[in-house]
Amino acid sequence: MAEETDIAVPKPRPGGRTLTPYFFVLPAAIVMIAGLMYPVADAFYLSFFDWKIGTKFAKADNVGFDNYIRLLSDPDVRESIWVTFRFGFWTILIEMVIGVSLALLLEKPIRGASIFRTIFILPLMVSPVVVGLIWRYLFDARVGWINYYLGFIGIEPQVWLGDAELAFFAIVFTDIWQWTPFIFIIVIAGLQALPSEVLEASRIDGANWWQQIFLVKLPMIRSILLIALLMRLIDVFRAMEVMYILTGGGPGRATELLSLHIYNRAFDAQLLGYASAISVLLILIVFILSLGILVVGNPMKDKSDI
Amino acid sequence: MKQWFGKATVLGTATAVALSALAGSAFANPYEKYKGTTIVVSWPALSHFKAAETLVEEFTEETGIEVEIDALQYLKLRDRQILEMSKDEGEYDIVSWVVMWKGEYVSKGLLTPLSQFFTNGALVDPEYDINDIADAYLQNGGVVGGTKGYMPGKSGALYGVPFGAETSILAYRKDVFEELGLEPPETYDELIAAAQMIKDKKGMGALTSRGKTGHQVTAAWLLHLAPLGGKIFDDQWNPVINSPEAVKAAEVLRTISNTGPTGIPSYGFSEMSAAFLQGDAAMYIDSLKIAAMSRNPKLSKVDGKVGFALHPVGSRCGSETGGFAMGIPANSLNKEAAFLFAQYMTSKAGDKRMVELGGDPVRISTLNNPEFVKQFPEYPVVAEQLPCADPDWRPLIPEWNELNIDVLGQALTKVITTDDPIQPIMDEANEKARAIMEREGYYAWAKYRQ
Repeated sequence: MAEETDIAVPKPRPGGRTLTPYFFVLPAAIVMIAGLMYPVADAFYLSFFDWKIGTKFAKADNVGFDNYIRLLSDPDVRESIWVTFRFGFWTILIEMVIGVSLALLLEKPIRGASIFRTIFILPLMVSPVVVGLIWRYLFDARVGWINYYLGFIGIEPQVWLGDAELAFFAIVFTDIWQWTPFIFIIVIAGLQALPSEVLEASRIDGANWWQQIFLVKLPMIRSILLIALLMRLIDVFRAMEVMYILTGGGPGRATELLSLHIYNRAFDAQLLGYASAISVLLILIVFILSLGILVVGNPMKDKSDI
Repeated sequence: MKQWFGKATVLGTATAVALSALAGSAFANPYEKYKGTTIVVSWPALSHFKAAETLVEEFTEETGIEVEIDALQYLKLRDRQILEMSKDEGEYDIVSWVVMWKGEYVSKGLLTPLSQFFTNGALVDPEYDINDIADAYLQNGGVVGGTKGYMPGKSGALYGVPFGAETSILAYRKDVFEELGLEPPETYDELIAAAQMIKDKKGMGALTSRGKTGHQVTAAWLLHLAPLGGKIFDDQWNPVINSPEAVKAAEVLRTISNTGPTGIPSYGFSEMSAAFLQGDAAMYIDSLKIAAMSRNPKLSKVDGKVGFALHPVGSRCGSETGGFAMGIPANSLNKEAAFLFAQYMTSKAGDKRMVELGGDPVRISTLNNPEFVKQFPEYPVVAEQLPCADPDWRPLIPEWNELNIDVLGQALTKVITTDDPIQPIMDEANEKARAIMEREGYYAWAKYRQ
């Protein structure tokens, strides 16, 4: 592609590669190693020990692969992974549908569009802890607004956060409320960057509204959708603040996402080594998922020759 | 001129001698030596400790020992304290711990035994009278190393003094009970009958309770376990949470959840007490803190309608012992000044002053003080309840965190959120508990003896 344009592309120096590019990525690489690789490596190291906070690490027992062996047969971890996948499936599916629909609706310059857009992205700006608190009070069984208003249409007060199914619904609902705007913003930005010639051409060719959306617009922002999906997927595995405050993972383990499970195991049950082992599993899952998505549809693929 | 100089010298010397004589008798004021020292106190941001701030100021005024308070949300307290106490030289000179943490702190070597101060005549106030401190509080919060490590016993040693300690009592709505012609329940049978009757006849929540997954629901169950005669472990560290008594306690908890205010499975302490204080529940069994809360117009809609009674009795009387105790970290640099502080705060005068400031007493003499008894109707109940307080109502061992949250916290959630038969749930929990104890080596002796 580059050969067809007139833009000058620096030719590699004769006689070998240059070190200059590596020099430019060096600062980023150092930050990555210090801020990301080191803690991950440390957690990996910790996962081979049985260490209790407040004792010298030198005294901690090296338990070898015990934590990993325990991990493989731990029904609680399995349940928590299952909860996380279910949570991810429902939230991402619904968020994508609502977020993309909203973006398509508000993409045209209708009256007050900017007001709507601002309102729609508000939840995104609220800190997760505050989101957790707001919804905890809304869902409160005794004094919550949700039960109060349901009372008007004759629905008995529900124990939203104390019933396995309702609590799961509550965290999914809260997540959708908070994160749909994220999809919305990304998609609307993508839609607005679409070249108008293409849309015009499709119109001239007689495409109707639906065809325009499904055959022109969405395929053209495919890579953006994929990035949004990927980021949400990783977020699902990182999510914990809202559930920590909303339900604490309960009742039982009904809303205990994997990251919250790790937190509870590490700091409530004081099993730091074991929690580290679960963290390693978490990284592995996210890594595989991310890799999978990148392989299926690499958003950078078309640009690999830059 | 020279003569005058000489006189001045003599005078000066005499003054110096007199001064040093005074200094020599500085033990007349035991605080003198530590004047200007700054100690750092780590405690929770809870009402009792907020009230104590005034007393801390008075302490500084009287003794010249400066105090810096690091008040933290109590769930954050343990991590922070452990971090600080595991350094070579710590910031903290006084730490307040939830009684549950004492075993962990001592087993990790983080605390200073108080014997080294109580043997120092220059430090101990002869009028301190440690016997006046409620025994249940002192044993439960301060003694570590006795039977099972956390109970009274000959191998125990004192590491802390109770400050902000509490036990459980029953609070009930006098108006509701009068209307229904009920007497406050004295036994668990009466409690269950009353709960059912209140639910049926009045349509309001009967007994409020914690129920949130994790330590909250376990705390609720433990409240009933001790009076119903149950325990977590037998003498050989075998878990017995599937015993008939323990299953009965779980049944009681299920009934309470079904007849109580809406939403018990999502209640922590604040939600469950709010349900009572806002008039949605007729009874409350938990920390005595409810008494002060019920008189606080910001929290309570039921002031004046609340009566207090003893924690109902099952096969025996037994109430919880909880709250806080304070002691001195092993890595504190100002241990003696810290001891003087702890002694001052829990002295007879200090304890009385704490009540005046809105805190909770730890001394029998304060609970029996006629003026306070007139003012606080719960005091005689608490004084009568304390001999029943059971230091073994929960095991304060390091493994308790995991048992409490991962095992019991999950099993009991199942008890109150489903209709599944209880015995299998508790059987399963018992197996899990056994596996944990096995892993931690508690059965090594039993195997060795075989």
